[in-house]
Amino acid sequence: MILSLLAGGILGIAAGAASAFYAAGIIGSGASFGDQIDVNSWKSDWTIGSAAANPWTRARVARHGLLALTKDEAVYFTTATDSDGARLKDDCTYEVSGGEMPGLWWSVTLYDGESYLPRNKDNALSFDKTKAAASGAPDAWSFVIAADGPETGNWVSSKAGGAFDLTLRIYKPDLALIEDPEGVLPAPTVKRLACKGAAS
Amino acid sequence: MKAFLTGLAAFVATFLIAHFVVLNALPGKIMSTVRGKMMDTGIAPHSWTMSARITPETQSVVRPSPDLAYAICLIDLSDGPVEITVPSWPEYGSLSIFEADTNNVYAGSLDARAEGTPGTRRVVVAMKGQDISGAAGAETVTVKKPEALALVRRLAPTQASYEAAAALIPASSCAPL
Repeated sequence: MILSLLAGGILGIAAGAASAFYAAGIIGSGASFGDQIDVNSWKSDWTIGSAAANPWTRARVARHGLLALTKDEAVYFTTATDSDGARLKDDCTYEVSGGEMPGLWWSVTLYDGESYLPRNKDNALSFDKTKAAASGAPDAWSFVIAADGPETGNWVSSKAGGAFDLTLRIYKPDLALIEDPEGVLPAPTVKRLACKGAAS
Repeated sequence: MKAFLTGLAAFVATFLIAHFVVLNALPGKIMSTVRGKMMDTGIAPHSWTMSARITPETQSVVRPSPDLAYAICLIDLSDGPVEITVPSWPEYGSLSIFEADTNNVYAGSLDARAEGTPGTRRVVVAMKGQDISGAAGAETVTVKKPEALALVRRLAPTQASYEAAAALIPASSCAPL
């Protein structure tokens, strides 16, 4: 009886700790800050950064989005899949397109599986409102994600990104977005163009 | 059978306890580790330190935005409240305060274009019960533990705008009240 108690207790502690590490994203799958909000696979959670966050969200944000602001100041949407639901990876090229975002300023940044900027020297880390405006089409912008950049055009480098994800930040989001994210967010489209080794 | 059920009950009970104890401890542990690493790099409490312009080589915290210029002040309220002053910025900017458990308990605009943004934002950070009588005219933020962190974000996607943000550090303060 005592042996059973002891064995169960030790196994329980080990499994409980391991499951907490998994839930926080310290071991296992990469970033996912919550699925409270899902707009065409761009996921967010309005409790990010706040005392209202549940323990799983708080731990995951600490691991994959430390120092995140609350929704009144900034909202964060993350996607790890293209528009067909396939995992984003650095041996494929993608076109990301969208329109005007409901907030003061926005950006789309690529992060690797550890939630860091991919270790490359391409100096092509993000696409933002400034670049959309400079492209002459702030309401209908697009950029390419590829490991090797195009000679012209807007580009975010995925070199050394592995299985990556994209974070859309919207600073000073419109109240309408907070109240109805699914109805208001013009979620950017992530279209897979080609993959290495695949027939084009 | 009885022994199996006893073991199973012990497993379930300790699983739940361990899961939530570890889960609740992780944010504070991660924050503390990051704080320790910052101090190891020479960042002292109660002074504004400009982060290097964000690149894959300079990033020190997960998911940094390469379009922002960051400045950080490590706060220690063990000896009393801390006063922060930060100048505004012509583009998007914010001053934010984080508790030891990672909660963002304050965010104030530094965007000079936004209505109500002062030329210099003044915030006093304190723990409950600390004397903030010297905080008259300042915004006050209450945190639960002595360790806290203040962070400035300024939209600065170019080297020139990053340098302009860095030039505001001498005009910023983070010191005991």
